[in-house]
Amino acid sequence: MSKYYLFQDIKKCIGCHACEIQCKSNKNLPIGPKLCQIIQVGPKFINGLPKMSFIFMPCFHCENPWCVSACPTGAMQKRSKDGIVFVDKDLCVGCKTCVSACPWGAPQWNQDTGKVEKCDYCMDRIDQGLDPACVTTCTTGCLQFGNVEETTQIRRERHASAVASLEKSSF
Amino acid sequence: MAEKTCPVRKTVIYLSEQISSGYLTDPKGRRISEQILHLTEEIAEGAGGSDHLSAIDSLIEEYFFDTSPVQNVETGNFLKTKIAEHREIFQSHIETKNCPSHDCVKLAPAPCQMACPAGIDIPTYLSLIAEGKDAQAIEVIRRDNPLPWVCGLICTRPCEMMCVRARIDTPVSIKFLKAFAAERAMSDRAYINPEKKDFNGKKVCVVGAGPGGLSAAYYLALMGYGVRVIEDLPVPGGMIMVGIPRYRLPREVIDREVAMIEDLGVEFSYSTRFGKDVTFEQLKKQGYESFFIAIGAHKSWDLGIKGEKDFPKVFDAVKFLKDVALGEHHVPGKHVVVIGGGNVAIDAARTSLRLGAEEVTIAYRRSRTQMPADIEEVEQAEEEGIEFAFLTIPKKVVGKNGIITGLDCIKAELIKKKGSDRLAPVPILGKDFIIKADAVISAIGQYVDDEGMEAFDQMNWTRRGTIEVNHASMETTMPGVFAAGDAVSGPATVIEAIGGGKRAAEAIDRYLNDIPQPRMPKLPIKYNIETSIEMSASRKMTLKHPEMPMLNVDRRRTMFQQVELGYDEESVRREAGRCLRCDICRRCGKCVEICRDKMGIDALKFGYMDFDNPSETDFRATSEKCITCGACAANCENHAIVIEEEDGQRMLKLCGTILNKQDIQYCEECNAILPSIEYLQFIAQKTGKLTKVTENRLLCNACQRKLSAKINVETRPVT
Repeated sequence: MSKYYLFQDIKKCIGCHACEIQCKSNKNLPIGPKLCQIIQVGPKFINGLPKMSFIFMPCFHCENPWCVSACPTGAMQKRSKDGIVFVDKDLCVGCKTCVSACPWGAPQWNQDTGKVEKCDYCMDRIDQGLDPACVTTCTTGCLQFGNVEETTQIRRERHASAVASLEKSSF
Repeated sequence: MAEKTCPVRKTVIYLSEQISSGYLTDPKGRRISEQILHLTEEIAEGAGGSDHLSAIDSLIEEYFFDTSPVQNVETGNFLKTKIAEHREIFQSHIETKNCPSHDCVKLAPAPCQMACPAGIDIPTYLSLIAEGKDAQAIEVIRRDNPLPWVCGLICTRPCEMMCVRARIDTPVSIKFLKAFAAERAMSDRAYINPEKKDFNGKKVCVVGAGPGGLSAAYYLALMGYGVRVIEDLPVPGGMIMVGIPRYRLPREVIDREVAMIEDLGVEFSYSTRFGKDVTFEQLKKQGYESFFIAIGAHKSWDLGIKGEKDFPKVFDAVKFLKDVALGEHHVPGKHVVVIGGGNVAIDAARTSLRLGAEEVTIAYRRSRTQMPADIEEVEQAEEEGIEFAFLTIPKKVVGKNGIITGLDCIKAELIKKKGSDRLAPVPILGKDFIIKADAVISAIGQYVDDEGMEAFDQMNWTRRGTIEVNHASMETTMPGVFAAGDAVSGPATVIEAIGGGKRAAEAIDRYLNDIPQPRMPKLPIKYNIETSIEMSASRKMTLKHPEMPMLNVDRRRTMFQQVELGYDEESVRREAGRCLRCDICRRCGKCVEICRDKMGIDALKFGYMDFDNPSETDFRATSEKCITCGACAANCENHAIVIEEEDGQRMLKLCGTILNKQDIQYCEECNAILPSIEYLQFIAQKTGKLTKVTENRLLCNACQRKLSAKINVETRPVT
């Protein structure tokens, strides 16, 4: 995994898709490729109530990315300093092997350029000390970006408070 | 073109840089630039229409508003000068859809079309013929050449010299396919004239009814001009009628195609010598506002040897062939010697043979390889029994009492002279010999007979005795007088005369409407009638150039029947299918490079694409290695190599040739189309160290995402 973690607080997400839009507009993408995507799961009846989740699906920037091994041209790469998996457009020839190799559906096809597009955590922005585009525009603030160590804290705290307060608990 | 980079392409690059660099800070300026860029890109891709340039002009004006920042003004001024300077090139991109610089990649021209002096859209008509659409093919050819049947039989076919297919096996037989289509269309009564414009009240006089004159008359008549053709001979066609013998070009072919031109209302005055039977002043008075001179080169050079003028049986080939063509079938002698090495010499020799000469010898001062005559003509002459005396310089015609007994010659050797690429024949002292002869025909070249041209007093003549013109417009130095054909080029080809006549017709139209003449020669037009011929790679590779069926030699030695009998219909359709469609694929070789160097697959064996180092080509080899990944197609700017999905199969096609076919896989969830097994295996090989591919379900990209989101929900502790 990369040294970063993009945390989605599913409790807070309302499925507004603002992250998707900001991502596409930042990368100037045509219709088609969605580097990050909100996937709606449900509605499902849980304890007699309809429940629905919105899952934020970016690239997970795997430790051993299949897309990188699959890429015949070396366009798909893992940045050594922080582990971000990105595609060098100049090297990409549009063979789509990465698209087929990825079990998560992260690499996306750009029909206009005939090349692959992929979430790179907006590494140009990160290098300037900014957050990825999707995070900046999240309406409920459910997306958070940072180092892995920082973001685990939220879950811990939430779990702790859930354990503490019975009416909030969904056990 | 003077500039190295095409100005249209340059404008696209300039604007893209201006926009992406953030130089244009003013939003309005950026908006205008983006719109101009869009229009210019369309022009560079062949999608430009007649309004594109004027739209760009008015957009440029928008840069200059009152409070416009300096960046806008600068960009506006730059574009203004660029377009003013190269307006013709922009216009030419829109009109012809050809860009010879290869910078506008989608407009890269086909070599055959560029080689054709009349600029016929060859790939288009070959595809039409392959599909059996003969009449439509003729319609396309006649946009640039009103005599497809004539050219189909006798053209010197510079197109075939450039044919890319020759780098795989042999060039496509472009020439004859035209003749077949014309004959079939004529027979089907489907060889029809295009719609002509209404008479515009203006009259043009064409001097000479040869290919140049006929071509100009045809295009002028279509444009609505009243055309009168003045012809010295009693027959139409000029040199194609009286120079080319009937066994190569039957008279009916000329008659039928001339009749098509007559049908447009062109008036022909035969046996009328310009300057004698009808004068410039008379025609001016009758309201002819412009003149087109296509009088050809009908006078033969003298041999300049002793005895040439002393015997009645020494004559020039032009006169001899003309007399025969006009019906005077007299054998010149028993032992005929023809002097010269061009097509005219061969024609005179083969004609003499058909008239009954016992022995015909062609005496040429250089050797076989230097002969300017068509190689096939030479071979056909040899088959008929014509003898050749190479390295032979005629010295003197010998005989007595007006009867020739022989031609005194001297042997030559070829020596390289300074300042000349051509080896010069130099006589070897003492090596004299006599060729037995009772008739000598000289065929060493022709020049323009300028008698009767005195009225065009402001017209300049070159040192070679030809008419001086501006080759972009075929304009002479005398206003309103245009010229083309052999009268301009000296003895040359039919197709050059036809091209010249067409250019002149356009220039005359401009002249009579006060439109300035073009500065650059007009490029041939790509009509973009998309009809690639679809066939398997094996078929494309194994189609072989058919042998031309010939009349038997006995008849060829005795009669004027057509020698080349023509291909049958099936051969014609197949032969047309050999075309590689170089108007679509510009043979940049990017697909080959990507497949070999980037993908490491090396499935594309297109050796013919490398002009400098051609290697083997085999379209059949692709299916052995190809995984239908589509990287080649994704990088082909011309959409020549494409991936198509049809009937459960993924196909790789190059200009219609099916290089590979693989079964499509489908997503287990949503049935979306997935890559082929071969492709998945290719990925498995790459990722094999990480995972076993067989563990994966066959899912599409979107379903994979959904599935992993679901797993995420299910495995997450419920909070």
